[in-house]
Amino acid sequence: MEALSLRGIRKSYGSLEVIKGVDLAIEPGEFTVFVGPSGCGKSTLLRMIAGLEDISAGELTIGGARMNDVDPSRRGIAMVFQSYALYPHLTVRQNMGFALRFAGVARAEIERQVMEAARILELEPLLDRKPGQLSGGQRQRVAIGRAIVRHPKVFLFDEPLSNLDAELRVHMRFEIAKLHKKLGTTMIYVTHDQVEAMTLADKIVVMRAGIVEQAGTPRALYADPDNQFVAGFIGSPRMNFLPGEIVAGGGDSMMLGLEGVDAPLPLPELRTALAVGRRLVVGLRPEAFRADGDSVMTLAVEMVEYLGGETLVHGRATAAGDIVTAKAGGNEAWVGREQVRLGFHARDLLLFDGEGQRIR
Amino acid sequence: MSPLLARRTASALRYLLLSFAAFLSVFPFFWMVIGATNTTADINKGKVSLGSALWDNVNGFFTAVDVPLILWNSTKIAIFGTALTMLVSSLAGYGFEMFRSKLRERIYTVVLLTLMVPFAAIMIPLFMLMASSGLINTHIAIILPTIASAFIIFYFRQASKAFPRELHDAAKIDGLKEWQIFLFIYVPVMRSTYAAAFVIVFMMNWNNYLWPLIVLQSNETKTITLAIASLSSAYYPDYGTVMIGTILATLPTLFVFFAMQRQFVQGMLGSVK
Repeated sequence: MEALSLRGIRKSYGSLEVIKGVDLAIEPGEFTVFVGPSGCGKSTLLRMIAGLEDISAGELTIGGARMNDVDPSRRGIAMVFQSYALYPHLTVRQNMGFALRFAGVARAEIERQVMEAARILELEPLLDRKPGQLSGGQRQRVAIGRAIVRHPKVFLFDEPLSNLDAELRVHMRFEIAKLHKKLGTTMIYVTHDQVEAMTLADKIVVMRAGIVEQAGTPRALYADPDNQFVAGFIGSPRMNFLPGEIVAGGGDSMMLGLEGVDAPLPLPELRTALAVGRRLVVGLRPEAFRADGDSVMTLAVEMVEYLGGETLVHGRATAAGDIVTAKAGGNEAWVGREQVRLGFHARDLLLFDGEGQRIR
Repeated sequence: MSPLLARRTASALRYLLLSFAAFLSVFPFFWMVIGATNTTADINKGKVSLGSALWDNVNGFFTAVDVPLILWNSTKIAIFGTALTMLVSSLAGYGFEMFRSKLRERIYTVVLLTLMVPFAAIMIPLFMLMASSGLINTHIAIILPTIASAFIIFYFRQASKAFPRELHDAAKIDGLKEWQIFLFIYVPVMRSTYAAAFVIVFMMNWNNYLWPLIVLQSNETKTITLAIASLSSAYYPDYGTVMIGTILATLPTLFVFFAMQRQFVQGMLGSVK
């Protein structure tokens, strides 16, 4: 049985529909990440799962039981908020035991559970401090500890690392991954940071404008995106999109004309037959450029970013074309060059139609 | 004029103006203390130095007025009035900010509009209402009209804008009912706001004069402000005695202010940092 399922979930504020029919099944112990740009509805969806927003239509089940109208505290969930949402007037110990206190749990049992969570998160020395006396990372750990003591069926994280600096974010990301491994509990995590999504998730759910664009493993979304939005959203730097055209062939031997590439490229076998003259959007990841590529693209260089281990070369295949970014080795002398010729394999190209849907 | 000289002249003028404003603020208190030690004749002559009539004035005040009774009456009204105002008005301010409704802003506008209505305009209908309820000459009649204060509702709503909504959400997930969120989360988090409101409402209640003057008709129910007013409206008012009364009336508000000064300032700046 699924740990959590969403069937035809919708949310409207008056005439404005912000969640437009979401269907999703999350397996027990799975780490699911909702990712998408600001305003895509990912936080609203999480709040609907938590019971902080009403569900306008559809069905939410947790552990097989319908939860649409169940009080948030009885859904078997615990939530970690972006701003930590620690009660500022209570100590760490009181914050962590607060929910148990109101659930009528005996004092000794509260203490035992708080100590257990504090041990897991190495919070013992901080138990008698108030949130105002803690650093951002410590507050986040307390917020996670407060969730742990509830022994929830599902953990909900709403952009929990957004308020931390870059170094701490990486550290806490690692801590959360470790925690998931240790507890094995189902976790749903909302972020707009696709690096967080890629590193933490068993399953990524990419959302846009209230709908799920694609759900799948990080590898599947990266290598085999369903549409141009997902292809562009997953991966950093983002995928390059270039206009292309079928110039010859048909059936199994189609040839693609592409900006910045002299000779037409032989396309790998596709399930969809494309007529000669058909215009396409061609996707190529910056990291797909390689020295041993069987095709070559010429770029007029506009900027080179040297990052130490690697170099990002930004240029244009044609004067009016979009910027193309290539991830190149860090040791080559890219800086100062006006034109570069970069190799790639035709098999690494992804094709999209005019509506942005993948052509396979 | 050199820039340095111009800056110093501007600074000197600013200090002069501020000193004058400070003098204007403090002089009534100074005059009150000086007056309490002088006879009425000396006060009328405009004497501004300490006199020797302090004990005569104290005796005069304590003879003319049942001091423990009027202090008890004023304290009772101020404490109960303040506590109820804080409870009702903070709940309203919290409710207006935290809960969405189509009518919310319209109702709030009506509440704010009541700030524009002068008390004199509602005094007579209010008196008739109290009379028909049999509350004339009771302290309940003083307290009741003050507990839903539009100004304090406004103050709490504004302060509640800084109350993190995520605390409300976290408390809901922790299993708290709405009244528990208000009592166990909102009130302690907003304690500086409450302290500032307490100082303001306590002073308003303690200094309340016009409405008690109309409603309280017997000596047994009178407050200290009414007692002072009755002394100063005598045919030959004894100003030294009146000054003793005003000092006595000022002390509790001064005490409340200084006891809560830190929280008051914090509350005016906002409880949530």
